[in-house]
Amino acid sequence: MQITLDGLQKHYGTYHALKSIDLAVPAGQFVALVGPSGCGKSTLLRTIAGLEAISAGTLRIAGEDVTRRPPRQRDVAMVFQSYALYPHMTVAENMGYALKLRRLNRTDIARRTQVAAATLGLEALLGRYPRELSGGQRQRVAMGRAIVRDPKVFLFDEPLSNLDAALRVHMRGELRDLHDRLAATSVYVTHDQIEAMTMADHVVVMRAGRIEQQGRPLDLYDRPASRFVAGFIGSPAMNILPGTVDPSGRAARLDGAEGPLLSLPMLLEPGRPVLLGLRPEHLRLSQEGGARFDGVVDHIESTGSTTFVKLKVASQAMVMTLARRLDVTLGDPMQIGFDPADLHIFDRESEASLVTQRDAPPRAGRA
Amino acid sequence: MKRYLLTAIGIGITGAYLFPLYWMYATALKDDAEIVQYPPTLVPQRPFWNVGEVFFGRHMPSYLWNSLVVAVGVTALVIVLGTGCAYVLGRARGRWVDALLFFVLMMQVLPSSLVVTPLFVGFNLAGLLGTPRLAVILAQTAKALPFYVVICRASFAGVPRDLEEAALVDGHSRLAAFFHIAVPLARNGILVAAVLVFLQSFGEYVFARSMISDDGLQTATVGLSAFLGPNTSDWHGIMTYSAIYVTPILIIFVLLQRRIVAGLTAGAIK
Ligand SMILES: Nc1ncnc2c1ncn2[C@@H]1O[C@H](COP(=O)(O)OP(=O)(O)OP(=O)(O)O)[C@@H](O)[C@H]1O
Ligand SMILES: [Mg+2]
Repeated sequence: MQITLDGLQKHYGTYHALKSIDLAVPAGQFVALVGPSGCGKSTLLRTIAGLEAISAGTLRIAGEDVTRRPPRQRDVAMVFQSYALYPHMTVAENMGYALKLRRLNRTDIARRTQVAAATLGLEALLGRYPRELSGGQRQRVAMGRAIVRDPKVFLFDEPLSNLDAALRVHMRGELRDLHDRLAATSVYVTHDQIEAMTMADHVVVMRAGRIEQQGRPLDLYDRPASRFVAGFIGSPAMNILPGTVDPSGRAARLDGAEGPLLSLPMLLEPGRPVLLGLRPEHLRLSQEGGARFDGVVDHIESTGSTTFVKLKVASQAMVMTLARRLDVTLGDPMQIGFDPADLHIFDRESEASLVTQRDAPPRAGRA
Repeated sequence: MKRYLLTAIGIGITGAYLFPLYWMYATALKDDAEIVQYPPTLVPQRPFWNVGEVFFGRHMPSYLWNSLVVAVGVTALVIVLGTGCAYVLGRARGRWVDALLFFVLMMQVLPSSLVVTPLFVGFNLAGLLGTPRLAVILAQTAKALPFYVVICRASFAGVPRDLEEAALVDGHSRLAAFFHIAVPLARNGILVAAVLVFLQSFGEYVFARSMISDDGLQTATVGLSAFLGPNTSDWHGIMTYSAIYVTPILIIFVLLQRRIVAGLTAGAIK
């Protein structure tokens, strides 16, 4: 069911935690809320659940205004980061609790619990208590408790953050599968941008109580609207260096660099201070042609499949990732090339992107 | 070696603590001659007992009943008034809560004998001395409430807030989440605090002594003190009375010992 937030505000005393949030989640979508710690992701999720009172604005679920309703009248299910399983109830009782509160009869509860348990592979654990489960199993029970209810909306608050890395990657896929099978509408909070990019249909980047940018994951990657989003989406983070537009208006120079100019994909007023952004994966060892500049190898790390080269360019640090091994020594000079279409340019003052103001060029082979 | 030594010291200290209790039971079994005998005998030589005579001769059924009325009344009242208070203090955070808690603990520090005079005057004006057991219940509730609140608060603070929020999302109202999730999970602390309040009230002396004048409404502790006087001689009777009075308390304590220890240390480790 769709969720609509209109000018939502949340104050904690004098602290303004959510500043006019507008968000529309269409039915069946998987939306991820990302942002740094303390930006208000959990707060936003909890206002949707009804666990935090909304200070101003409206919240609609399935078209109904539920702004002032308590959680039990919103028909939402939530998976907590801590899982919040009731320690004095067995797995089956935990999963059936919401149904019991809705006064379903015992056979219906047992049947639906069975179905959900089968979906998650929990049949063998139904008689256990939460303290007798592993972290991954608890996580599944928390999921099970949400899905037995067949709610209008699923809310997740960093549900995978307590799992080890391998299980986390595995559960990502499972969670998304589950979402598709149930044709659910999900809002998913995470501080891990990779989780957001890989799982969600729509990503909302938050910063200090505001929505900084929202859109499809690859759109955020290709066209970040601000330096903040550019730095947040993508790993390793985008290289962002201060520069100045050349008198010609068609190129820019890195501040402090004598070297060649970086040609710009558009015309800007000469002398304007800007920030130049280049993703590490868009840099390459230069052959002839294209835009390029010189750097010096500062540090090299390799995972086997990927090589991370840290460079000094005009006394500033830059990272380049290459999908192959590289045989260089520290201190070697290096010519680095890139496609001008991959250059991101931000205003130095407002840090807003200047690239998105024009039509984004088609990005064959990458989109 | 060191362990044995420590164990021996532990047993020694425990023995010293429990000796008066043993002496009470031993004396209850001695006859008058043996009680005053010098040097005293450690083990009764000619044990006999006199429970029935002391029990009825000293009106113990009435005294014990009154003690029970007071203890049950206080415990019920404390649970009703204190549980919600403990919950709120366990959930809320901040300077005001700390200040309040300090104040609550301060009330606990005041000795009964200090507050009994103003209470007596106040209750007299309010006409409460016409129902003296009720007056004692109220006074003792005020005395026991802080202790109960402080212990229960630690238990409630140990119940993660997430659990109640999960219950809200699962379909409970705020109040139902309190009764169905918070209270069951804090029940050890609640139970222990209630038992301790009960035992404390069962042995209450100062308020009963001052507020109850009708001997038919008097409690067992005051009834016991009526034995004592400048020329007390019936040590056997006194000790039998004491044994009858103390034994049920000891049984309750031993039965619940595990939980009491667990409840007292809950919240301490975290
Ligand atoms: N009950 C509260 N009272 C006062 N301030 C609060 C309260 N809850 C949250 N905040 C503040 O609101 C802001 C947003 O908190 P929130 O928990 O939503 O952050 P978050 O984005 O989920 O961060 P994290 O990734 O660390 O979980 C924080 O600055 C926090 O200090
Ligand atoms: Mg959070």
